[in-house]
Amino acid sequence: MLVELTVNGESRSANVPPETTLLKMLREHLDLTGAKLGCDVGDCGTCTVIVDGVSVNSCLMLAGRADGCDVTTIEGLATADELHPLQQKFEEHGALQCGFCGPGMLISAKNLLDNNPDPSVFEVRDALAGNLCRCTGYTKIIEAVIEAGEMMGQEQANV
Amino acid sequence: MRPMDYIVPESAEAAVAILAERGENACPLAGGTDLVVDLKHAPGNINALVDVSGLAEFRGIDVTDEGLRIGSMVTYGEIMEHPVCLDKTPEVVAASHTVGAVQTRNLGTIGGNLVTCVPSADSAPALMVLDAEVTLIGPNGWRRMPIEDFFVGPRKTILEPYELLAEIWIPKHTLGKPSSFYKFGLRKGQALALVNAAAALELDGSRIVEPRIALGAVAPTPIRAVKAEALLDGQDVDAELLDEAAKIAVTESKPIDDFRASRNYRRQLIRTLTRRVLERSVEIARERQEQGELH
Repeated sequence: MLVELTVNGESRSANVPPETTLLKMLREHLDLTGAKLGCDVGDCGTCTVIVDGVSVNSCLMLAGRADGCDVTTIEGLATADELHPLQQKFEEHGALQCGFCGPGMLISAKNLLDNNPDPSVFEVRDALAGNLCRCTGYTKIIEAVIEAGEMMGQEQANV
Repeated sequence: MRPMDYIVPESAEAAVAILAERGENACPLAGGTDLVVDLKHAPGNINALVDVSGLAEFRGIDVTDEGLRIGSMVTYGEIMEHPVCLDKTPEVVAASHTVGAVQTRNLGTIGGNLVTCVPSADSAPALMVLDAEVTLIGPNGWRRMPIEDFFVGPRKTILEPYELLAEIWIPKHTLGKPSSFYKFGLRKGQALALVNAAAALELDGSRIVEPRIALGAVAPTPIRAVKAEALLDGQDVDAELLDEAAKIAVTESKPIDDFRASRNYRRQLIRTLTRRVLERSVEIARERQEQGELH
């Protein structure tokens, strides 16, 4: 079946078997390998992408369901010139070690900050409850998200 | 996943007709958070998915003269954001918030969760204490029933072949009813309930009116603790009475031993959680009374 969607602002399409998940379409048909295949059952969150403004496990969503939708993946965060504030703060804090959870962690964090620019620690933990990291223990990740929110708030104030 | 046909029907009636025509090898697809996982690991004979998630008859949250209608294909994420749910059924929102995590709540639907029919389904007790009803559509048309009757056993509902859960209705008289939900899991995020409990009641002076208690993960299906409710009905609120009701709720439950918790531990949880949701419901009812006196 033909699936047409907007990924990171670009119109993309692919002919995929109907049982293809959105994750598989992104990785194998559109060569966007940022979102990772982790547990493949919706527990680990490393496949997280934003579809029409809400974050979802792309391993649980059939590609056909995303037809006509606007999708944001980790590849959509940085520009050619600059990392996204979340990426900058993750780097500064050493919030990633092996990095495998990063694509989903950053997308979940972006979705949080898009809707709630000044979250509490509780709100960050709640927003990241579906993203498992087995290296850092989360503390640095939470600090990075809070600081990125502050940084984005300041950038907005300066515009 | 093995090759599948993916069918998007035009209407609920069309979905039922397609399912009936394709027979047992076709399966309705809702949010997919359970089904897609099953299809990857144990697909059985399924060779066609009928995607009912976008059907107008199964979508939307509306207030009518009858009460609050929640389409079965409304996601938990949508319930949590909806102003009427936040205002009139805050404990359904609270229960929704304890399901999975953000990403699964944005995919998973309340109807899909009820149809999966695990004893620990978090929305079930919160809906049961509000006297919720469900509507179903199948080859013989529509029918409606109390939500308790929908649950038959672990992973078994009253749905006939090719029948679909269409709507959840919360009647007008329970919208805004003082209510409380509490879930106890091994973690705060992405954990199944060891026990979940909900209560709802009104106070007439200090007299308890229309008490409701529902429990999850304590029996083959979510249950109402009707004997505990009967003890409370018409009585004056009293801390010992609430604890006595909680003790009775334990006797109405049949919790299992499993790797998550022992039967005895679950019994302790039932008593504690039942008492807490009753106390909290009373507290809310009293706050309402005080607010009423101020106005």
